[in-house]
Amino acid sequence: MAKRAKTSQVKQWFSAPKNALSSKGRLFTFSTGFDMPFFILLILVLAVGLVCLYSASFAYSYYRNGGDSYHYIKRQLIYALLGVAVMLVVSTVDYHILHRFAWWIMFGSWGLLLLVMALPTIQNVHRWIRLGPIQIQPSEIAKFAIILLFAHLISQYHQNMKDPRKGFWPFMVILGVTCALVVIEPHLSGTILLFAIGMVMLFIGGTRWRYLGLVLGAAVVGAVVLVVFLGYEQDRIDVWLDPVGVYTSDIVYDSGQTGRDAAWQTVQSLYAIGSGGLMGEGLGNSRQKHSFLPEPQNDFIFSIVCEELGFVGAVLIILLFAALVWRGFVVGMRAPDKFGSMLAIGLIAQIGIQVVFNLAVVTNSFPNTGISLPFFSYGGSSLIMLLAQMGVILSISRQSKQQEGG
Amino acid sequence: MSAKRAKQAKTQDNGLLMTKPMRVRTYFSISAIFVCLVLLCCQLFRIQVLEQDYWQKQAVAQQLSDVEISANRGQIYDANMSVLALTREVCTIVMAPCNIRREVTREKIADELSVMLEVDRSTLYQQTLDSESQYKVVKSKVDKSVGDTFIEWVNENSLGGVFRIVTDYKREYPLKNTLSTVLGFVGKDNVAREGLELKYDSVLSGTPGRMVAAQNTYGDHLPTSLQYEYTVDATDGNSLVLTVDQYIQQVTDKYLAEAIEEYGARNRGCAIVMEVDTGAILGISTKGDYDPNDYLTIADPSTAEKIALLAGEEQSAAIVKARLEQYRNKALDFYEPGSVFKIFTASMGLEEGLVTEESPFYCGGMFHIADRSMKCWVHPNGHGQQNFITAIANSCNPAFMTLGTRVGTKLFSKYYAGFGFTAKTDVDMLGEQDVTSGLYHLPESISQVDVAASSIGQTFKVTPLQMITGISAVANGGYLMQPYIVKQVIDGDGNVVSNTQPTVKRQMISESTSGRLCAMLENAVSSGKIANAYISGYRVGGKTGTSEKTETKSEEDQDQNVQVIASFGGIAPADDPQVAVLVMVDEPQRSRSGSAVAAPIARKILKDILPYLGVEPNYTEAEIAGLDRTVPNVVGATVAAAQSTLKASTLSAQTVGNGTTVVKQVPASGTSIPKGGTVWLYTDNRETQTATVPDFTGMSVAQTTQAAKAAGINVLLSGISTTDGTPAATRQSIAAGEQVAKGTVITVEFTYTANIY
Repeated sequence: MAKRAKTSQVKQWFSAPKNALSSKGRLFTFSTGFDMPFFILLILVLAVGLVCLYSASFAYSYYRNGGDSYHYIKRQLIYALLGVAVMLVVSTVDYHILHRFAWWIMFGSWGLLLLVMALPTIQNVHRWIRLGPIQIQPSEIAKFAIILLFAHLISQYHQNMKDPRKGFWPFMVILGVTCALVVIEPHLSGTILLFAIGMVMLFIGGTRWRYLGLVLGAAVVGAVVLVVFLGYEQDRIDVWLDPVGVYTSDIVYDSGQTGRDAAWQTVQSLYAIGSGGLMGEGLGNSRQKHSFLPEPQNDFIFSIVCEELGFVGAVLIILLFAALVWRGFVVGMRAPDKFGSMLAIGLIAQIGIQVVFNLAVVTNSFPNTGISLPFFSYGGSSLIMLLAQMGVILSISRQSKQQEGG
Repeated sequence: MSAKRAKQAKTQDNGLLMTKPMRVRTYFSISAIFVCLVLLCCQLFRIQVLEQDYWQKQAVAQQLSDVEISANRGQIYDANMSVLALTREVCTIVMAPCNIRREVTREKIADELSVMLEVDRSTLYQQTLDSESQYKVVKSKVDKSVGDTFIEWVNENSLGGVFRIVTDYKREYPLKNTLSTVLGFVGKDNVAREGLELKYDSVLSGTPGRMVAAQNTYGDHLPTSLQYEYTVDATDGNSLVLTVDQYIQQVTDKYLAEAIEEYGARNRGCAIVMEVDTGAILGISTKGDYDPNDYLTIADPSTAEKIALLAGEEQSAAIVKARLEQYRNKALDFYEPGSVFKIFTASMGLEEGLVTEESPFYCGGMFHIADRSMKCWVHPNGHGQQNFITAIANSCNPAFMTLGTRVGTKLFSKYYAGFGFTAKTDVDMLGEQDVTSGLYHLPESISQVDVAASSIGQTFKVTPLQMITGISAVANGGYLMQPYIVKQVIDGDGNVVSNTQPTVKRQMISESTSGRLCAMLENAVSSGKIANAYISGYRVGGKTGTSEKTETKSEEDQDQNVQVIASFGGIAPADDPQVAVLVMVDEPQRSRSGSAVAAPIARKILKDILPYLGVEPNYTEAEIAGLDRTVPNVVGATVAAAQSTLKASTLSAQTVGNGTTVVKQVPASGTSIPKGGTVWLYTDNRETQTATVPDFTGMSVAQTTQAAKAAGINVLLSGISTTDGTPAATRQSIAAGEQVAKGTVITVEFTYTANIY
């Protein structure tokens, strides 16, 4: 394959491999069942997430929506049902069809990322495209695009991944362009996620250690230079290092933000988590959700979960996520081909990484960048999209080789 | 994995399944994620379990509103349960301009609220513009009724998100200035600042309760079932019942204030009325004082004017000083008592048998002791030969200095301390200062010269309260009492919590000495020496005092006389003393002597309060003859019958008209009229004849009677002693120039101009 002409190589990028469709050659598959443990774990996570959202958003919704405590949960329920339907439909589609769209979706997401820059800002950032009642985050689509394209390319180049010209630089260019488009929104957390997912896929895909180490090292050095020497995001770093200190100080940052305001969310999150103790205040009994903790229904939903369900409840939910991630990887490893493996692993790694980052942020283990908690945080389009991606994993699981994997 | 499988996997490499290295790296990735999750669990464990107390404490501090429930502050009552101080519930209106979005609302608030709450419209409008603020006080201490109207207005206009109403308390003093320097006040911040309010703060304030409730950042209570509250009820404060009687207090206030005005006293004055047997304070007045409802305002207009002329720091310092001054209870300030102290010198002499009523004294106008010569106040004249009774009436300095030297240093110091001048009286009022050694001659260092000077009340200082406590002891049979003003502490339901029992500190003189001294003091008044203290029908005893304030002679006084304190200490009735009165006027300008300035005040006070206290008048024959008459009713009677009725009351009649029966009379029946006064009788319905009121000021008794007769009006002569003296009219009840019906009775006050210092 390496000796082919360039034109054919480009053509090959867009084409599916010979066995692009399942052995039966049908687009929709109903006959084989999908991975039931994964499905059950997913529905469990989703259900627990909905209950937590209901409790966490209850007071916030009351204050924000004129006494309607059910504003968020009503919508999220509808989105969840819709999302599950989408997931089930997607699970019946032969995922190999995605080979054909890998590049187009990538190009499309770049287009949307450019488009969003041209649109007026929402909450001071170019992050959302508003389509009637729903908002779309192009960076969310970019994540899927990267996963899909990387899975596609790794499955194509699997024998040449050790060659940096095939197995490193093309990926870096794609990832670099995407990250660049996301970081200028600006959307720091989205960039970090994209980068992390990309790195995991390349790592599993077979790119040499040393190249990945180089990139990782460069990223770390770059971050250190930005933060330490250029004072970039100084307020977030200060808060991360000493949240209570900043909270109680009279610091005023260049942006005009006071220390109290800068540290407010982090400190309130810690208050909530700390208040939970071992067993929690009981479901529904959070006090921090009463206008103290901002975004209790969104990025900081887990703080309220910790407050209400305590350490025990929080760990149980983390275990649930761990089980889901584990089962996702199992589906990936049992996939009938590398494309399926990489796709499933990329998608489930995305969940895992996002959970890790979200928990790291709410516990102030990582500087505060807005990362939502999958299946828990409020957000219709994002939930539907997540569930659709889980549908892809289920679709892959329909063709899994039962004897393989852990 | 078996070798076979591994081989299989390898053969399928160019095909489909994951290669072994991929699987290894997959496991590695999963492990990395799991390791992260485990670390996060550790972090959660640290925050939730290890550091729980730390975070929870801070969280709870912001989540719970801990509201203090104020205890109702007790009232302060006078002896007859009239309210002197009470607490009213009021409200403070708070606005959150951050919740105002529309200009229309701002206009509406500014327009309507400025009228309702009587605040400045533009100030209010400016407040609404502060869109960052959640807390702007629109007006504090608003009456509850206005608050209710306000709540209605807020509800009508759906502005519940913009306004809040906070319950607050306001201390009110319905009698305004009355007793203000004793009561003190509670500040706008509900903190007791002065007087009894501060002294008895712990009794009055009670114990506040608490209400703890969950809240959100908006400060509201939670809307959900999460509501969490616990309440500890407040215990209301107890109330004070004073020994002060509102009537006596107001009488004291009134006459003292009048005199301070009349004599142009520059440094205020005070008057105290004490029940001699118990030491209970019946009235205690300082003028000028202030209105505790408006304690920040400088009450004295001339001081306020002077301060207004200053600027900057100088002005604020002057304001602070003037406030502290007006809050000060003058009865607790040290002064040189002057001749009033002779009462005590006399009691020492009598008690020790060093003098009797008839002991002879000679006054040549000077007293010589050691190398010093001290003048009598009549210098260069002298009182000549006199007995002790007359010496008291004369307030003769040489006589008392002579007596003082007889008493000697040791006994003088003993009695001085015994009458309570070297220590606090321990009265239950705020502001009594320690008696420091610089204020009097210490027993170990007092010389005969010091005793001589001290015998006439000079070279030491005491407080008016110490003086009246001492005078009460002299009057009540020698028992020095601990003065007090709080009679009772009662709880909210009126149950008595505690009663103050009169406390005898010690007996200083015998009952008989006390009686003899009272008689001598009465003689000083009734003999006409202190005629200004004389009240017909009552036996008043007293002693005047006029002390020079040499140390406070200011620059502007250089070319003037030395400023004085004019005072009078009295007892009544002298044969069975019930009350003691002490009046002191600091720096009177238009007259100087105690007899001219202070004695008339004491007379007016006693004249009003003795009948009030149920002391029956006991007239001498001469007094009965001169007593005022009451006009009988003669309307409807024939002229002849009317005339004879009036004649029987030693009144004369002036008939107007041609009718035969009286249809109208001036003055009306029941009016007090002097003996020999004229009643105008009208026999038809013609208009009442009028007369112009003459100006009696400065006239003698004869001139006054004549002028009144000429005008066709009657005058009641007030302040006239039956004995000799040359009183002059100082005040009349209806102003000169007024038109009155002929026959109208006008009271004219007389003051004796002869001075006793």
